[in-house]
Amino acid sequence: MSKSILIDTTICTGCRGCQVACKQWHNLPAEKTTNVGSFQNPQDLSFDTYKLVRMNEEIINGKLEWLFFADQCRHCIDAPCLETAFDENAIYKDSATGAVQYTKTTKKLDADEIIGSCPYNIPRKAVDGTLAKCDMCNDRIHNGLKPACVTACPTGAMQFGDRDEILALAGQRLEKAKKKFPKAMLLNPDEVNVIYLVGFDPELYTDYAVASNDRGGLSRSVALRKMMGPFAKMMRV
Amino acid sequence: MKLDRRDFIKISGATAAGIAVSGLGFDLKQVKSHAGMLKTRYAKESTTICCYCAVGCGAIVHTSKRGDGRVMNIEGDPDHVINQGSLCSKGSSIKQLVENENRLTEPMYRAPYSDKWQTVSWDWALNNIADRVKKTRDESFEKTNAKGQTVNRTTKIASVGSAALDNEECWIYQSLMRSLGLVYIEHQARI
Repeated sequence: MSKSILIDTTICTGCRGCQVACKQWHNLPAEKTTNVGSFQNPQDLSFDTYKLVRMNEEIINGKLEWLFFADQCRHCIDAPCLETAFDENAIYKDSATGAVQYTKTTKKLDADEIIGSCPYNIPRKAVDGTLAKCDMCNDRIHNGLKPACVTACPTGAMQFGDRDEILALAGQRLEKAKKKFPKAMLLNPDEVNVIYLVGFDPELYTDYAVASNDRGGLSRSVALRKMMGPFAKMMRV
Repeated sequence: MKLDRRDFIKISGATAAGIAVSGLGFDLKQVKSHAGMLKTRYAKESTTICCYCAVGCGAIVHTSKRGDGRVMNIEGDPDHVINQGSLCSKGSSIKQLVENENRLTEPMYRAPYSDKWQTVSWDWALNNIADRVKKTRDESFEKTNAKGQTVNRTTKIASVGSAALDNEECWIYQSLMRSLGLVYIEHQARI
């Protein structure tokens, strides 16, 4: 049974505890940033920032809404980055947890091709082309701990558990959220292990909140490899 | 799906190579150890209280047993009654109070009218603080006010701080300040 995370943005307060806990656990350095007039900081994910609370101010039905979106890797069930890389030494899926893992070997991949394949625009490259993103704190999960971000969340907006439990919880939370937010929805729950619950149109949170056919996905050569299935995997085309 | 000539050659070439290798009995499967060791596996665990706001969240501090005692990780204490493991962004960052290249580890002194700081010893700093507090307090001490009422106070020293003190430290601090006769005792969290 793979593991899943629920991120209920309707009860997120944007405290960024998850964002800092992620940096803290992974020993990642801070970013040098400038004030751009938003509380969102830094402005984007990077090689050193796996988790970022995106903040947007929107006027919805004549009322100012401050939208928080704790962006991170979705750990797709069929991950396009993994298919694109086609190198288990660089990108692989931990079958026990469902977490998609990047290794130092990602340096040998075409970084822009991998980033372009991600429907959620998550992986980021270092100067030398090595790729990095959220690893679901796979080391913590295997040792009976929750991911650092989930442990830190003070409001309970982030929940972690077995996939079926989290899907059930997501359904319950959705019902509850719909009473206050009629447009509430889960984002791609059947395709990803990190399931977001949003109260408004997902496009308002970030351009890449939901997977879209217009971008990401598999290129022609990757689709070919996928079509060949296990046979192709053995051959390493 | 249309195969172009290049793809066809790649696939057929790889097929031949694959059959050749698998025929020799190599195991092509990658063996991976998913369960990495926790960085805190051999660390000493102690509990602490977050020093920032008045909520008083509990945290677990992981320190190295290598002998240097450096802090490796600080995270919310799941057994703590108040926060049950959670921490906000400030609480999540308290490792930086200790592990920080900008942190001062020696007392610094700037003399009156000087424009630079100098490093001094703890003994020198503590003795000088004591001397100056005593001098100012003795010079400004009022036994009675203008109406002749007993006040035993000094209005020439004020204390501002500290939001980072815990309950017991505050008690000791308050006792010390009151015993000197201070009346201006404030807390920077209210300023």
